[in-house]
Amino acid sequence: MHGNFDNTLKLVRLVLRRERFNSSVWIIVLTLFSVILAPGMHEMFSDMGTRTQIAAIYDNPIMVAMMGPVYGLDNFTTGAMYGGMMLLWVAIAVGVMNIFLVTRHTRTDEERGQIEVVRSLPVGRLATINAAMISALLINGVLALLIGLGLAATGTDGMGLGSSLLYGALVGAVGLVFAAITALCCQLSSSSGGAIGMSMGVLGLAYMIRAAGDAQGSDLIACMSPFGLAQRSQVYVNDYLWPLLVLLALACVIAAIAFKLNSIRDLGQGFLAAKPGRRGAGPLLRSPFGLAVRLLAKMLIIWFVVMLMLGASYGSVIADIGAFVGDSPEYLQVIGIPAEVVATMTDADKSKIIVDYFAAFITVMMTLVCLVPVLNAAMRVRSEEREGRSEHILSRVVSNTSYMAGYVAIAYIASVLIQFATAAGLYLATDAMAEANPFTFGGLVSAFFAYLPAMWVLIGVAVLIIGLFPKATGAIWAVYGFVAFTSFIGGMLKLPDWVNWLSPMYHVPRLPMEEMAYPPLVVMTVIALVLTALGFVFYKRRDLAPA
Amino acid sequence: MSELSLETVDLTKRFGKFTALDSVNLKVNEGEVFGYIGPNGAGKTTTIRVLLGILQASEGSAKVFGMDAWKDAVEIHKRIAYVPGDVNLWPNLTGGEVIDLFVSLCGKHDKSRREGLLEDFDLDPSKKCRTYSKGNRQKVALVAALASDADLYILDEPTSGLDPLMEQVFQERVLGLKKQGKGIFLSSHIMSEVEKLCDRIAIIKEGAIVESGTLDEMRHLTRMSMTIKTEAPVEGLDQVKGVHEITDGQGGLTFQVDSDTVGDVVSFIGKFGVTKLESTPPTLEDLFMRHYNTAGGA
Repeated sequence: MHGNFDNTLKLVRLVLRRERFNSSVWIIVLTLFSVILAPGMHEMFSDMGTRTQIAAIYDNPIMVAMMGPVYGLDNFTTGAMYGGMMLLWVAIAVGVMNIFLVTRHTRTDEERGQIEVVRSLPVGRLATINAAMISALLINGVLALLIGLGLAATGTDGMGLGSSLLYGALVGAVGLVFAAITALCCQLSSSSGGAIGMSMGVLGLAYMIRAAGDAQGSDLIACMSPFGLAQRSQVYVNDYLWPLLVLLALACVIAAIAFKLNSIRDLGQGFLAAKPGRRGAGPLLRSPFGLAVRLLAKMLIIWFVVMLMLGASYGSVIADIGAFVGDSPEYLQVIGIPAEVVATMTDADKSKIIVDYFAAFITVMMTLVCLVPVLNAAMRVRSEEREGRSEHILSRVVSNTSYMAGYVAIAYIASVLIQFATAAGLYLATDAMAEANPFTFGGLVSAFFAYLPAMWVLIGVAVLIIGLFPKATGAIWAVYGFVAFTSFIGGMLKLPDWVNWLSPMYHVPRLPMEEMAYPPLVVMTVIALVLTALGFVFYKRRDLAPA
Repeated sequence: MSELSLETVDLTKRFGKFTALDSVNLKVNEGEVFGYIGPNGAGKTTTIRVLLGILQASEGSAKVFGMDAWKDAVEIHKRIAYVPGDVNLWPNLTGGEVIDLFVSLCGKHDKSRREGLLEDFDLDPSKKCRTYSKGNRQKVALVAALASDADLYILDEPTSGLDPLMEQVFQERVLGLKKQGKGIFLSSHIMSEVEKLCDRIAIIKEGAIVESGTLDEMRHLTRMSMTIKTEAPVEGLDQVKGVHEITDGQGGLTFQVDSDTVGDVVSFIGKFGVTKLESTPPTLEDLFMRHYNTAGGA
């Protein structure tokens, strides 16, 4: 096997040079996010009583399944809270970073024929994969070190240097495990898309295994997953080292298998034969609408599931929320209870009022999140145009109007389905966790559906922008930002009424505290339809504008 | 040949201040193969997009089958098939799915043609479009267009990514369509292809048509190249009307002759005892380069 690794170091420099932007952004964003959140968390929950209270609320099967177990309750420092709440999410993000990083420099290069060029030079057979793995090691190492040092430097309660370095190392080690898994998937699949899909699948599976293990309180099952393993380190509480060592060993073993497979396969081949796709289109794909459904379905289904889960996570804590926020005027203000209501609240109706306002508050928040995929669905018609793919459809027997109608119809339908999914998640989890469900299913669904006309107004704005300003479709996100901003903190900032008035969300009756009021909803629906219709008129009249 | 399948009158298209098309006049007869040549950026694709009704003319008119290209786009599209120059496809659909989708969006199509075309063009329809090379993406668009039963085929540089073998398949297919009396509007910068396939040709330069007609007509307006060897040295050739660019080389005397003075020149050189005479008509490439070289100052 002499010479298998020749010139690896030069290739490492090539990888790092090509990564100077991409990986730097990942490292900077992840480090800043991690470091800024630590003192932020401490400021928000500065005394141990509050933190323990929060932990108690979160210590229910649904939240443990989502986030992992809570450790160190007897001395719940901010560090312990941070370690329990943050490690999983940052580790997932770093896993995703590594999946893209390793695929980019192995399978993608191979697919594009770049490795062929490199291989024709005096470069070892395993030098490419070796260079990708060494680069991953360096990048994850830098990230681990920066996060560890950064967290220690904040001097946050309970976050010493040793523990913080362990926290960073755990993040980096999970990253390396996924770098190795991706390297393996790149040997199995013969396309970069397939390799990314497979690695993401493993990441999803790792999350599910951990969730299943944690939900049953089984450390053994949870430790089958790199995420569960990392959490067993109980960083900032007990700082066990063995999970870190197991993770690193795991990465080495998987990487070794990947190297072995790489050395015995032909360039361009994968061990799993590429599954041939369909030779022809099914009946569903044979129309412009069918194409739009096909292009958007995957993204929308993922969002429906995510929103169902997000709804469920709020549902699992909502019954206890009164006990937590009840004594804090700031929290009462955040969830939007007016001062006069707070002043007249009696102990008897206090918890119901808080639950109602909290429900109304998360309805607004969730609606804002739901708007993202809905607007994306509508904007897809423009990105298709920009990518030069609308031309194929519009040069055939399809009118501009019916072409765009497919995407817009999907956006409208998706708005209804995703609001329903969120309400369902919220209701079902509340029902499972609370002794007496404070909501009725119908009541929750109507609270979420009351926001539909407001969502439709934004769809209308999106369609109008596509019709009128195809070069500036990013403007829809500025509009969205304004709506989100005013809904979020408009009340707290005491913005002038007319500013809030501009946002469609402002006119929605806030169920369940307020009565359902139909006139504003009808007016907004009409406005939405008029904006949509205008968008269609302008779209029909304008040139197709690629780029 | 009386019906026009396609006609533009003073067609002008501006993008902001930039004039992409400047009073373009084109006439394509029914059942004719029309070659539209010009380099990248000359306005070929813009013309086609106007004809397809996905860009609106700033001035002038564009008609296909006598209908307005913008207003009656959908009606027109029932009778045409189109292959774009730059084929972008959906990375996660297979080639076969895309072909079926395209074909089912056409007015008329012939299902039986699909398999034959796939075989001729040697295209695997079960692969995802992301794995296709440029040539293969072009094949997807070609198979979809040729499988549909159109009266006019609009092809924008359809062979720019194809290998010579596939180019041959393409040319055979086009000649087959021509035999069936189908009209073809072929934009290209591959001169030999246009020379071989097209009845009439238009050359576009910076948004304006600089020459159009049959290849013969266009040649008529230009010079032919002659190489001769004679027993006696030729004298006074530079005095003869219509003779240009005389060079004396090893192969003999080479010069250019205006097409309408060929007879006079031949009788003049006859006096010197011609032992060898070669004449080559200008290729389309020569015609084309003539327009472009003068502009470039070369």
